[in-house]
Amino acid sequence: MSTDDVLLEELPSLSRLYVSAASTAARTKLGALERPLVLPPARHTVEDVRVSLEHVTRFQHLLHGTVRDSLPSVFVHSAAFPVGMSILARTDFPLPLLGMVHLGNRVRHLRSIHFSEPLAITAWADNLAGHYAGTQVDLHVTVSSAGKPVWEGVSTYLAKGVFLPGLDKQTRPPREDFVPPRPTATWRLGPEAGREYAGVSGDFNPIHLSSLSARVLGLKRSIAHGMYLASRVLTSIESVAAEKFEWDIRFAAPVFLPATVAVRIEDEEAGGRWGASCFVGWGERSHRKHFQGTARAL
Amino acid sequence: MASTPASPAAEGIRKAVVVGGNRTPFARANGAYAQASNQDMLTAALDGLVARFGLADERIGEVAAGAVLKHSRDFNLTREAVLGSALAPTTPAYDLQQACATGLETVMGLANKIKLGQIESAIAGGVDSASDAPIAVSEGLRAVLLELNRAKTLKQKAAAVAKLRPKDLAPVAPGTAEPRTGLSMGEHQALTTAAWEISRAAQDELALASHRNLAAAYERGFFDDLVTPYRGLTRDGNLRADTSLEKLGALQPVFGRSLGDKATMTAGNSTPLTDGASAVLIGSEDFARSRDLPMLASIVDAEAAAVDFVHGKEGLLMAPAYAVPRLLARHQLTFEDFDFIEIHEAFAGTVLCHLSAWESEEFCRNKLGLDAALGKIDPSKINVAGSSLAAGHPFAATGGRIVATLAKLLHEQAVSEGRRGRGLISVCAAGGMGVVAILEAC
Amino acid sequence: MADAYLKLVNSPPASVIAKKLGLPRPTELRRYRRGQPMVPGPVLVVASGAAEGLSGQLSGWGLEVRRRTAPGEKLGAIVLDLTTVSDPRELSEPMLAVGASLRDLAPGARVVSISRPADSASEPAAAAARQGVQGAVRSLARELRAGATANGLLLADGMDLADPGALGALQFLLSGRSAYVDGQFLLVGPGADQLPEDADRPLAGRTAVVTGAARGIGAAIAKVLHRDGARVVCVDLPAAGEELAKVSNAAGGTALQLDITSDDAGARILEHARSRYGGLDIMVHNAGITRDKLLANMDQARWDSVINVNLAAQLRINEALLASGAGQAPRVVCLASTSGIAGNRGQTNYAASKAGVIGMVGASAAAFAERGGAINAVAPGFIETEMTARIPWGTREVARRLLPSLQQGGLPVDVAEAVAFLAGDAAGGVNGRTLRVCGQSLVGA
Repeated sequence: MSTDDVLLEELPSLSRLYVSAASTAARTKLGALERPLVLPPARHTVEDVRVSLEHVTRFQHLLHGTVRDSLPSVFVHSAAFPVGMSILARTDFPLPLLGMVHLGNRVRHLRSIHFSEPLAITAWADNLAGHYAGTQVDLHVTVSSAGKPVWEGVSTYLAKGVFLPGLDKQTRPPREDFVPPRPTATWRLGPEAGREYAGVSGDFNPIHLSSLSARVLGLKRSIAHGMYLASRVLTSIESVAAEKFEWDIRFAAPVFLPATVAVRIEDEEAGGRWGASCFVGWGERSHRKHFQGTARAL
Repeated sequence: MASTPASPAAEGIRKAVVVGGNRTPFARANGAYAQASNQDMLTAALDGLVARFGLADERIGEVAAGAVLKHSRDFNLTREAVLGSALAPTTPAYDLQQACATGLETVMGLANKIKLGQIESAIAGGVDSASDAPIAVSEGLRAVLLELNRAKTLKQKAAAVAKLRPKDLAPVAPGTAEPRTGLSMGEHQALTTAAWEISRAAQDELALASHRNLAAAYERGFFDDLVTPYRGLTRDGNLRADTSLEKLGALQPVFGRSLGDKATMTAGNSTPLTDGASAVLIGSEDFARSRDLPMLASIVDAEAAAVDFVHGKEGLLMAPAYAVPRLLARHQLTFEDFDFIEIHEAFAGTVLCHLSAWESEEFCRNKLGLDAALGKIDPSKINVAGSSLAAGHPFAATGGRIVATLAKLLHEQAVSEGRRGRGLISVCAAGGMGVVAILEAC
Repeated sequence: MADAYLKLVNSPPASVIAKKLGLPRPTELRRYRRGQPMVPGPVLVVASGAAEGLSGQLSGWGLEVRRRTAPGEKLGAIVLDLTTVSDPRELSEPMLAVGASLRDLAPGARVVSISRPADSASEPAAAAARQGVQGAVRSLARELRAGATANGLLLADGMDLADPGALGALQFLLSGRSAYVDGQFLLVGPGADQLPEDADRPLAGRTAVVTGAARGIGAAIAKVLHRDGARVVCVDLPAAGEELAKVSNAAGGTALQLDITSDDAGARILEHARSRYGGLDIMVHNAGITRDKLLANMDQARWDSVINVNLAAQLRINEALLASGAGQAPRVVCLASTSGIAGNRGQTNYAASKAGVIGMVGASAAAFAERGGAINAVAPGFIETEMTARIPWGTREVARRLLPSLQQGGLPVDVAEAVAFLAGDAAGGVNGRTLRVCGQSLVGA
C-alpha cells in the first residue's frame, strides 16, 4: 500500500468537514456514492500551525486549569483535531463520520509545548477492526515542533452498526460489575457543558450541543465530549505530572447532560516523585462507569 | 519533620499573653445577623473588647482579622472595622485569610510581632457571614463587563455586549466546595469519616457533649466576659441545651449519602453555616501590667501543616493530625502534659478521625514517622466549654473564640488550683490545612 | 424621648400664643457646661445677720456679689442666709427683700436659702422659724419661672458656713448641675474635708461603678462621672450586650457584664475594680426594673423580681462593700424614686423597693461613715427616658407638664448630675440623705 501524503494549506474548518460528511452520508444513502472497504492510505499534514494564546486561555479557564504558557495535553488534541477529522471526512473513508463514537485515546506527551511554537500536525488512520457493535478504527495524530515529535496521539472511534465485510464481528465481552470506589472529586456538569467545550475545542458535533440536536441523531439527551472528561482529569493530573508523560482513557457509558460525575484519581509515586495516576469516573447516582484510564511518567 | 526547628522559642524573646477576648454570640445563617455585614459584626466584636478592657480611644499596636467569605469591597475589612470602632483611628490594621484557620493565624502572627518587640499590644480577630455572603456575577458576564470596560469604540462595545448569553445573567453564590475536587467539605469529611470507620453513635455523642458543655458554660456565667450579645441574640443561636442522643439519632445523613449505609454525618454532628465575629486582645506582659489588665495565658507556639488531599492521598481535614505531633515534638510534650485540648469541631467526624489517627500505631508510624502511636487523649479534657458543633462556626471567627475560651479556662484553673496548666488548640481548614497552637496559663 | 412641646413653645410665634392662652411655658433649663460661669449673673446676698463671710466666699469663687439690686441688672442667684433665725418674726424682712428682687432674676437663676434643721432646734420658736423657711422657699420655688429654681441648704447646728460641706452643697445648688432640682432641702452635716481641686473634674482619679449602665439614666450617669474625671466601670446584664459596650466606650470605661442579683455580684464588682483600677471609690446603684400591675392583679414573680433587683441586690452588694475590709468604704449613691415617696398607682412593688432604698440609705449611713464612706440616694421624678416614653400620652403630659414647677420632665443627665455631686467630695457633708431630682413635682411633695 503506497502512502498518499497530502499537505494541507491550512487547518480545515471543522464545520465544513461536518457539512461535507453530511453530504457524503446523504449521497451514500442515495447510492450516489459507494464507500470503499479499506482505509485510504492517506496522511494529511498541516505545517506551521500557530496556537492562539487567547484560545488556550479560554480552554484553561473552562477546564478549571491554571493559565500557563505551556499547552494542556488535551488542548493539543483539540488543536490537531481538524487534521484528524479531515481523514475521517474523506469521501474514500470506509466509515461514516457522523454518529461515530469515541472509544478511547492514548497519548504520549513528549515534552512541554510552549504556546508560541509553530507546530506541524500529521494525521492518518489505521487498524480498521471489528467490534461487537460495529467497526472501529484508530486515528493517529503526530504533532511536531522543529522537526521532532512532541505529542503523539491515537484516538479510537467506533462506527456503530457498521459491519464491513472481511472484518470479524467480535463477541460482546461480559459486562463487568462496577463497584464505585471512594471518590476524590465530583464534577457537576450543567446542560451547557457540551456547548461550552465545543466553544473551546471547535468540536461542534451536534450530539454535544443540545438535547434537540442530540435527539436528531438518536440520543435521548446531549452527551459530554469524551475529550472534555479527559481534559478535566488531565487538568488535575498535569499539575502534579512529569513533563514527559503518557496517558490513556477508555470511554464507557456516555455522560448524559446534565450530570454529576464522581471521579477517583489515585497517584502512585516512583522514587519519591510522581510516577503514575489511575483514574476512573462514574455516575454519582447511577454508579455506571463513564471512563477509566491512566497517566504515567515517561 | 526536617523543617521543624530543634529548639523551642529562642531565648531572649519576650512573652505574648492573652489579655481576654470578646465575641458576638454566633447566629445561624439567615438568623439574627442576616442583615449585618462582616464589617458590622467585626466592629461590634471590637467595640465589646474595647469596652471590656477600657481601650476607648487607645492606639493599639495592630489589629489583624479576616473573613473567609469576603466581599471585594471589603479589601480593607479590618481597618474599616477599626475606623468604625471605639479604638483610636490611628490604630493600624491588616486583613489575613487562611480559611477556617484565619482567626488562629491572626493570633499567632500578632503574637510573634509582640514577641519580637515590634508591637506592645494587638487585637486578633475574625468574622464571617454566611447570610451576607458575596454574590458574584457569572464568569461570562464578568468577561463581557471587563471587555466592555476595555473597549474604546462603540463597535467594540457592541461586540462585547453581543457576547452576553442569557445564562450569564444568573448570579453565582460561593460554595463550600473545594476548588480542586468539587467536593464540599462535608463530602470530603464523609469520605475520611468512612475511611476511619467512625460510627454514627460516636459522632452523635461528641455533638451531644459539645451542646451540654457549651450550655453548662453559659449557665455558670463562663461567657459573661467573653461574649457581648448583639442584635438581640444573647447566646449562640445553634446551641440546643435540651438535645439528646435520641434527637440527634433521628436525623438523616446529609453528607456521604453515596456511601450508602456508611453515611453517618447529619446536620446534628456537622457544624451549620453561621454568622459571627470574635476578637482577642493580646499584648506583652509590660502592656498588661502597666494597665492592670489580666494576663490569662501565654501564647507559646504554633505549627501549621497541610496535606495532599487533591487525589485522596489524605483526608481534606486531616492536617492537624500532622501539625500536632510536630508541635509536641518541638516542645517535647505528650498529650499527658495538657490540661485542656480544644479541637475545632468542623464535624464530629473530624475530631474523631484526628483522635483515631493519634491512637493508631499504623498511622503514626507510616504517616508521621513516629515509633509508636501518639496516644489517647482523656476525653474529659476535650472541648470542655463546648465547641463549634454547639456554638456554630463562622469560619474566620472560630480561632478567636477558641483562643479566648482556652485562655480563660487556663486562667480559671490557675486561680483555683494554683497551677500553671497547658492547653492545645487544633483547627482544621479548607485546602487541606491545619493550624495548631499551645497556650500556657500565666 | 424628645419633648416636642418644650421645643414648640420656645419658638417665636408659638411662645406668644402660649403666653396669651396661659399654657404652661417651660423653658430650656440652664444645665452645666464646662467653662460657663456658675451662675448667669451677679449674686444677691440677703442675710438675717452679718453676711461678710458668705459674701467673701462667693467673691472667692469669682462671683459678683451684690447686697442690693441695681436697676436693670439681672441677677444670677439670690443666696439667703437664714442660719441665725430663731423666731418666725425674723423671716419677714429677708423674705420680703428676696421678693422685691424676684423680677430681676435672670432665666435659669437660683435662689438658695441656708438655714438650720428644725428638728435640732432647742426652742419651739426657733424650730418654727427654721421649719417656716422650708415652707417659704418651697412656695417661692413655685412662683419662679424661666427655669429658675429655689432650694435650701440645711446646715447642721454648730457648722460654719465656711465648712467645705456647706460650700460644696451651695456650689451644686447654684450651678447648672442642679438644673432639675427644685424646692428641695438638703441636710449638710460635718464630714467634708475639702472641696475638689478642679471644679470641672471633681472626681479625677476616682473609680466608679455604675449598675444598669447600658442605657437611660445609667448611661447618663456613666458619662457624667467620666466627664467629671472618674474612671467608670459600666455594669449591666450580659444581655445588654452592645449597648453596654457603647456606653462604656463613650465613657472611656470598662464594661462588666454581670447580673447584680447573683450572689457573687458584690465580690465580682470589687474584684474588677481592684484588679483594674486598684480600688473602688464610688458605687452607683442605678439598675432597676418595673413590673407594674395593680396590687389586686399582682403576682409573686412581679413582686419578687422588682424587690430583688431594685433593693435586695443593693443591700447584698453594700454588705460586700462594707465587709471587704480593705481600704476605705466607697461613696454609694442609690437610685430611689418619687414613686417611693408619694406612691404611684400600679407600682406597689416598685414603690416598696424605692421607699426601701430610702430607708436603707438612712440606716446604712453610719456604717459607711465609720469606714470613711457615705451612702445617699437620688429620687428622680419624671425623667425623659425610653422607659417613660412608653407611658400613655395623657398620663405622660400630666406627669411632665402639670405636676412639676419646671413644667417639663427632667433629662437623664439631671439625675446624673445629682449622682455625681453626691459621689464627690463636694457632698462630703451629706450622708444618709435622699435628694429629689423632680423639678418640684407635686408627686411626693
